[in-house]
Amino acid sequence: MNAVVFNSVSKRFRHSPALFNWLGRERGGVTEALQRVSLQVPKGEALVLLGPNGSGKTTTLKLISTMLIPDEGEVVIGGADTRGEGGSVRRKVGFAVANERSFFPRLTARENLEFFAVLEDVAKEERRSRVDEKLGLTGLADAADTLVMKFSSGMYQRLGVARALLKNPEVLLLDEPTRSLDPGSAMRFWPFVRHLLWGGTTVVLATHNFQEAAAVGDRIAVLRRGELRSEREFRRGPGVDRPKSDEVEAFYFQVSGDSEDIPVFETAK
Amino acid sequence: MTRVSLAEKLVAIIRRDVLTTVRYRNGFLLSAVGVLAEVVAFRYLARAIGPAFRPEGVDYFPFLIVGSGFYTFLITGVQAFLSTVQEAQQTGTLEVLLTTATPAPVLIFLSAFSAFAGKLVNLALFLVVGLLLFRVPLLHPDLVGVGLIFALSLAVAVAMGVFAAALQIAVQKGSAVIWVLGSVWFLTGTLFPVGTLPAPLRWAAWWIPVTHSLTGMRGALLLGKSTRELAPEILWLSVAVLVLIPASLAFFAWVLRRGRREGTLSAY
Repeated sequence: MNAVVFNSVSKRFRHSPALFNWLGRERGGVTEALQRVSLQVPKGEALVLLGPNGSGKTTTLKLISTMLIPDEGEVVIGGADTRGEGGSVRRKVGFAVANERSFFPRLTARENLEFFAVLEDVAKEERRSRVDEKLGLTGLADAADTLVMKFSSGMYQRLGVARALLKNPEVLLLDEPTRSLDPGSAMRFWPFVRHLLWGGTTVVLATHNFQEAAAVGDRIAVLRRGELRSEREFRRGPGVDRPKSDEVEAFYFQVSGDSEDIPVFETAK
Repeated sequence: MTRVSLAEKLVAIIRRDVLTTVRYRNGFLLSAVGVLAEVVAFRYLARAIGPAFRPEGVDYFPFLIVGSGFYTFLITGVQAFLSTVQEAQQTGTLEVLLTTATPAPVLIFLSAFSAFAGKLVNLALFLVVGLLLFRVPLLHPDLVGVGLIFALSLAVAVAMGVFAAALQIAVQKGSAVIWVLGSVWFLTGTLFPVGTLPAPLRWAAWWIPVTHSLTGMRGALLLGKSTRELAPEILWLSVAVLVLIPASLAFFAWVLRRGRREGTLSAY
């Protein structure tokens, strides 16, 4: 059974310049964030989204989480359409957003999670233990009673994952989850995500990191300018632990065209 | 199925807001000092105007204390709620909150309520210092009447807060509601009685909920009016609540759908 289904989904963002635009040069027009994207993620599998900046990775995650609704096509999560059954979808989906500051800075990590646990309908009798469990899983047990305004970027990122896990989601969305983590923590994070998959959680992860994509993904989709360029399954199983990141990298550059017309950084002469 | 009651969610939101407020230690103290300074200023203003001026049959000082205290409570409550929404937009917390299992209109309504609960401390300080410290005689206030006028006024103000939040998300200018409320203050009887205004302005004042809140609160607290005598204000405010609460929530829900369609939930 598919946990996540995109049926020919399109999403556009309109840019309406302010009044008196002659004072400046604000751009108008439309950005095609996603164009007729179709994909499926079977339950208990991990889909990794790769693509250059602005390719539609975060838009895809936001469409799953109901932060956005599609202009065309349908997004179905665990049988519920995000357009008509948003409430049902929100109960199934946990989203660790890329924005690290999305917490209440003058609450501690524990207070933040307790607050979100109430909003996520975690029953009172299991709230405390659930919060402790997620703090422990993300390595924040020792910082549980620290105001989050004193957190480092990496700690914010861990807390974001802890918050996304609070409701024990059927679908976990991770937007560049290891961007601010030290290499050791990142390498410990990937098996943790694989462990969640064995428990039946479906994961959709957006990243720029080939090593991360190789470590986590069962399948990898490459997006570019809102189009799904290619999707490939990387087999795992006995004797095949995970694809090599070189293999992922080669696949990415082969299908993404990332180098055709993206501005490059030039070294000074 | 919901496993956490609305009351529990409200307590969690109030706890969040109280913790945030008290951890801004200096801001909390400064706001208390501001309240005291305002009360003292009103005391001297009333003394300068003299005892002959008795608007609506009460001394000018208690008239000011109840009018200004209550008006400030309502305005700063809307303002505090709006700031919470703006801050949540800037940090990205709003989008996350709106993807929790709690329906967005419920969350926004409870958050607005909590913002006013936070300002209740200021109001209590204002009234306690003003009415008790300066020994203003209260004519056996009708507590049921006071409670009813207060609850209905609060509900109207929460609706204003929800309108402000919706405007903030829709056009990033929720402050328009504060601006409107701030520009009509002279019609509401905050510093002088509505009866002194010309007829067209008195007519305009009748349509502003705060006018009825202040008239009702002064009647209950300072003139000892019974609930029956307060019936016109109670009825007016009840109708306002019945219209404004559903209208504000419907507007907010519409704005939210539009924000999800256009991707502007976090635009600020």
